[in-house]
Amino acid sequence: MRSPLKNTLKALGFWAFASMALADAAAPPAPAAPAEHHWRLGVALGYGERTNPLVQSEKIPVLVDLDIAWFGKRFFFDNGDLGFSVLDRPAFTLNAVARVNTDRAFFSKTNTKYINFQYLGAGVTVTPPPTTPTPEPQPFKPPKRDYAIEFGFETLFDGEWGAATLRGFRDVSGTHDGFEVGADYDYRYTRGRFSIAPSVGVEYKSRKLNDYYWGVHAGEASTNIIEYHVDGGFGWHAGLRTNYYVTKHLRAALSVNYERLQNSVAESPLVKDDYVLGFFSGFAWTF
Amino acid sequence: MRTLITGIAASAFLCLALPAFAADPPVKLAVKPLLCVVDKGASSCLMSFDIRWKATQTGEYCLNDSAKPEPVRCWAPAINGAVLQEREVREEFIYWLGAPGGADHLSEVKVSVLRVDSADRRRERRTRHVWDVL
Repeated sequence: MRSPLKNTLKALGFWAFASMALADAAAPPAPAAPAEHHWRLGVALGYGERTNPLVQSEKIPVLVDLDIAWFGKRFFFDNGDLGFSVLDRPAFTLNAVARVNTDRAFFSKTNTKYINFQYLGAGVTVTPPPTTPTPEPQPFKPPKRDYAIEFGFETLFDGEWGAATLRGFRDVSGTHDGFEVGADYDYRYTRGRFSIAPSVGVEYKSRKLNDYYWGVHAGEASTNIIEYHVDGGFGWHAGLRTNYYVTKHLRAALSVNYERLQNSVAESPLVKDDYVLGFFSGFAWTF
Repeated sequence: MRTLITGIAASAFLCLALPAFAADPPVKLAVKPLLCVVDKGASSCLMSFDIRWKATQTGEYCLNDSAKPEPVRCWAPAINGAVLQEREVREEFIYWLGAPGGADHLSEVKVSVLRVDSADRRRERRTRHVWDVL
């Protein structure tokens, strides 16, 4: 077993152990709540977009958003995430989760374009001097990237102060061999039929994860684009979700989200924007 | 042939006329608001209900609350009525209009309760959609 993998697994194990230790010091159990359905099914229809920071790519339109989740006593499926509740205590819930990395989503909407200039590193683009002969336009398409299956732990906390999540995931599919750790906080304020929930979060992504998705690998470098390696680093995001409940099942939803990419990712020749901005406005129906 | 045409015409008339009759019930009850939204830290809503009813025939009617044994209010022979009621709502219930002492619901309206939080923290986790709105 390679040592970075060993270290990551040790860290994840320590996290799980620390959560179990905390469980002993937890407060007494909360009063029983009414039973809920195992399934949670919903659909949102409306219009939204998510910008794509990848060069020669298109914005990702969002017209329909499905919510498909199933929660058993321990196992759960939540929109692609498979989870198992390791511990559920009044103060927190510790889950083991397998998921698909979402960075890959940006590489689905790309185009081949004919370019006659060179991409250089650090986000700089240089056209040839007018005295030199114009090079023949060359086809360039952003490289392909694979989906990665990641496994890790998440700890969920909540209270009158809001809700928070701590998470750590590592690639177990041999795709990027990297890891990600992060923390999120959100607070939902409900008044009458209206609710508003601001959220903030920060994440650290390892060099291997970032470099696999956003680096220009040796075999991909050409006269159009030079080799570039991405470091690990911190990114952050903030969002706002609002809902107006029309009936028990139907609500009007408006959301905006801003994600700031890590510096080293933003400077990649494959990246045109240092942020991802998304919004959605529409109606959501929960079955 | 004439019989067939008459039959088709009668069927068409019935199809058109029936919804009109169905859309005009003998008593119509209207209540606002109809939804109580409960979030973390709250177990009920204190709501002010605006309740109005209208009948096609004058009569004695009582407004009832399915969660309470006694009527909210009864009216002497009347063709319409209105009442404002402050009420704490913890669970779904029905306002219904009927004859005094009767059990038949001449008209009814359901007041729903929506819990937007969950006792199961996993249901509150932020999913990782391309765009997460739900």
